[in-house]
Amino acid sequence: MSLKQERWVGLFSLLPAFLLLAIFVGYPMFNTFFHSFTKWDGVTSVFIGWDNFQSILTNGDLPLMLRNNLIFLLSVPGILLISLTVSVLLHEEVRGWRFFRSVYYLPAILSSVVIGFLAKSMFTNNGIVNTFLDKIGLGHFTVDWLNTVPTEFMILILCFYWQTLGQGTLIFLSGLSSISNELFDAAKIDGTSWRQKLFYIVIPSLYPAIFYFTIVNVIYVFVGLFGLVYSITGGGPGYETTPIDYMIYIQAFRSGNMGYASALSVFLFFIVMFITWIQLKISNRLEQ
Amino acid sequence: MKTAYIKWIRFLIFIVLAIIAVMSLYPLFYMAFSSMKPTIEYIKHPMGLPQTWYFDNFKALIYRFSLFRLFGNTLLYVGLSMVACLTISIPAAYAFAKLKFSFRNGFYIAMIATMTIPGVTFIIPNYLLMSKIGWTDHIVSVVVIWAVSAIPSTVFLLTSLMRGMPDEILEAIKMDGAKYYQTMTKMILPMSLPGVVTVSVFNATNWWNDLLTPLIYLQSDNLKTVTVAVATVLNRFSSDYPLLLSGLLLSSLPPIAIYIVFQSYIRKGLVVGAVK
Repeated sequence: MSLKQERWVGLFSLLPAFLLLAIFVGYPMFNTFFHSFTKWDGVTSVFIGWDNFQSILTNGDLPLMLRNNLIFLLSVPGILLISLTVSVLLHEEVRGWRFFRSVYYLPAILSSVVIGFLAKSMFTNNGIVNTFLDKIGLGHFTVDWLNTVPTEFMILILCFYWQTLGQGTLIFLSGLSSISNELFDAAKIDGTSWRQKLFYIVIPSLYPAIFYFTIVNVIYVFVGLFGLVYSITGGGPGYETTPIDYMIYIQAFRSGNMGYASALSVFLFFIVMFITWIQLKISNRLEQ
Repeated sequence: MKTAYIKWIRFLIFIVLAIIAVMSLYPLFYMAFSSMKPTIEYIKHPMGLPQTWYFDNFKALIYRFSLFRLFGNTLLYVGLSMVACLTISIPAAYAFAKLKFSFRNGFYIAMIATMTIPGVTFIIPNYLLMSKIGWTDHIVSVVVIWAVSAIPSTVFLLTSLMRGMPDEILEAIKMDGAKYYQTMTKMILPMSLPGVVTVSVFNATNWWNDLLTPLIYLQSDNLKTVTVAVATVLNRFSSDYPLLLSGLLLSSLPPIAIYIVFQSYIRKGLVVGAVK
């Protein structure tokens, strides 16, 4: 293959992929941007300028949705800490650690729908959680878990943690195994304590992995919670547990307010772009 | 004295890890056991093993909810999407990794950038586009959307793996006068097989577990995927938890099987992004 040929083969190999992405990602994106300025029921659209954005800002749903997304956002450090702890413990390679590692990832392979409905069935009024509390003599702690907002969030976050622990431990374990043994040997000769080793060697060399895990999950709480919310709370009561991505689904496919939903999509798009921008900034700094 | 202390600590670590493992696994056992209990027993004794093993829930799923068709549907959609996605992604990844042409990096960055666009931003226009072509409530819509939305991440993973292929062998086979097609089938495909398996395992489980896409594009009950059927049809009988749980159990068997067989691939694939 001559160089000239290679150029054409190269471009030709990309053509189908870019053609499809243009049709099913590029065009719809511009379409969404355009329709965010219209009142649109899917058939006819009327240009209404900034009205959709104005009503997002003023109709009172936005603080609620942002609050809901913020609650999930604030739960990310929790799972980060749990995964880190579990990986450090696993890295001690006690008996059966490979088995534990496999077990922790198992829930991650399941659908959010399975996780969600499973949790829902466990937390019903006379479900297994309340029965268990009754049996061990904590009967006065039984709550109607699925009908009060704080416990609903607790269940959603619990499911999110259950799904994510395995991903976290796998990422951090691979980070841990890439720390060179010489570093540990040197530390041993210097007589460093276990705690010093943790905070001066292990954690700093995990920074890239910690950063990657955090970004992936921060984006996930903005765009990935659809399945869990759908199966556990359906966004209710009212919109009390509705994050932005679920609201887009409700507005577009239940209420038919496609213009309003498009405006929300644009809003979400900029949030995710902002997170990605921060990611690029920080990862540049990490490389330096 | 010191070794005894260390042994004691290691035992404690083992206990902590075991408790977490039990917490991770217990809901799955609960799901399995509950699905084999009659409804009354489930209400009376939600904990513990079934007293009478009862398989009517599974029979109901097979006969009343045509489980085999649901599985067939999902397998078909996942299979077609996989073929489509790989056919498009492998040549693109090879071009990004090993061919030299102008604007290669620009195209690559553009491709990777699409990965960060949230899927919801294009779901409404795509739905309307599909209904204009007449593809809604038709398998093509789901296959196309699944395949296309997986292209960027598939290309990303395959490119980063193909970059590791030794250039010397590629040069050698070029010297022998191998055409593009021959290079592809004799060299690139066999050598990138582990990567193809890894990425396909991820894609297949994601598609199998996906709720939003098939929920929106497919309306008829006889076209639904397993995941959507469990979430919508079985949820209409939501007071009958054993029935719902047996549906959940059966719908999670394929992903669990994939996980058990391809564990090591998943472990490798998951960290490609992390080490970058």
